[in-house]
Amino acid sequence: MLIQFTLNNQPVAVEAPSDITLLALLRDHLRLTGSKEACEVGECGACSVILDGELVNSCLVAAPQVSGRSVITIEGVRAPDGGPNDMQQNFISYGAVQCGFCIPGMIMAGEALLLKNPQPTRQQIRVALAGNLCRCTGYQQIVDAIEATAKSRARQRA
Amino acid sequence: MPKYSFATAATVDEAVRLLNEPEVRSIPLGGGTDIFVALRVNPLWFDRLVDITHVPELHHIGVADGVVSIGAAVTFTQALESELLQGVAPFLACACENVGGPAIRNSGTLGGNVANAAACADSLPALVCLDAVVHLLSPAGERALPISEFVSGPHQTNIQPGELITHFSFAQPPAGARSAFIKIGRRRAQSISRLSIAAIGTTNAGGAIDYIRITPGAATPKTIRFTPVEDMLKGQPPTRELFVRAGEAMSAEMISVTGRRWSTPYKEIALKAITERVLAAIFLQEAQPC
Repeated sequence: MLIQFTLNNQPVAVEAPSDITLLALLRDHLRLTGSKEACEVGECGACSVILDGELVNSCLVAAPQVSGRSVITIEGVRAPDGGPNDMQQNFISYGAVQCGFCIPGMIMAGEALLLKNPQPTRQQIRVALAGNLCRCTGYQQIVDAIEATAKSRARQRA
Repeated sequence: MPKYSFATAATVDEAVRLLNEPEVRSIPLGGGTDIFVALRVNPLWFDRLVDITHVPELHHIGVADGVVSIGAAVTFTQALESELLQGVAPFLACACENVGGPAIRNSGTLGGNVANAAACADSLPALVCLDAVVHLLSPAGERALPISEFVSGPHQTNIQPGELITHFSFAQPPAGARSAFIKIGRRRAQSISRLSIAAIGTTNAGGAIDYIRITPGAATPKTIRFTPVEDMLKGQPPTRELFVRAGEAMSAEMISVTGRRWSTPYKEIALKAITERVLAAIFLQEAQPC
């Protein structure tokens, strides 16, 4: 079936089977492999994307369910020059990335939080990351990086 | 060849029509957070998913003539952020806040939580306390069932093929009612309830408990109010000693339903403890996580 939606702010139309998930659509049909496939049951958050402004697990969304809607994946999060954006740069600076597998999901969870709540408390950041597992960092550096991003964006807005 | 097809319903009537087309086993798709997990382990049980999440009235949360109504496609996030629900049934909003993590709450729906009917479903204890009514629509017309009759056992409901849950309704609890929900999981977030409890109650001018409903989750195969414990509490002044006895009575009632199972040595103690805490939260104003 033809699935038409907005992907990273660009309209796309893709012919795909009706029985696949959004994650499979992104990875196997659109070759966007930044969203990771891991638990496939919504427990790890590695496949997180932003659907109409809200964080979702793309492994639990039917691909045709995004018809007419807007999806942002990790490939759509970048600085204007194509390099890392401020949050991604902070993840590097704060040592928030070790093996890196969970990081696309972590960045999406962080960006989804700041869309809704531009100045979160550390506790709110932890709640926002509750569905994203990281087995390397212990999370502190990830919370630090998101907190720093929120603060620097607030300063830029001021 | 795809294993199943996909259709999107724009209206409730279209959803019901699609669910009842002959020769196509169709099921409603809400957030997908249970269906796509079940698909990994179960043989395919449908030919078509009918996406109902674009039907506006299925997202409605409202109150009219003292009756609160919640659409089946309302997500946990929409429910927990609803000022109406925070006001009339804070323990239901709290239960929704305890489901999974943010991404699951953004997708998962109350209709799906009830239709899936897991014994550990987080929304069930509060909905059962509220004596919520499940409203169903099919080509034969509307049907309404108390939630305690709708859910007949773990992952078992009395929904008929082709029926769609449209909404839930419940009478607005008495003015001044206080409610609380407590969940025990293996960790604070993104966990399945090992045990939970919802309760709502009021005291009269004389200080005695005059309205109380108490429902444990993941304690019995079917989520039910523990009315013998409610009867024991009614008319009594709320004291710590009373709540200790109520905790013991809750555990005894659970064991009378389930018998002694492998999990009983844990649940017997844990249910007693969360019963005391939930009653203290309501009647002694003790703080609870939400």
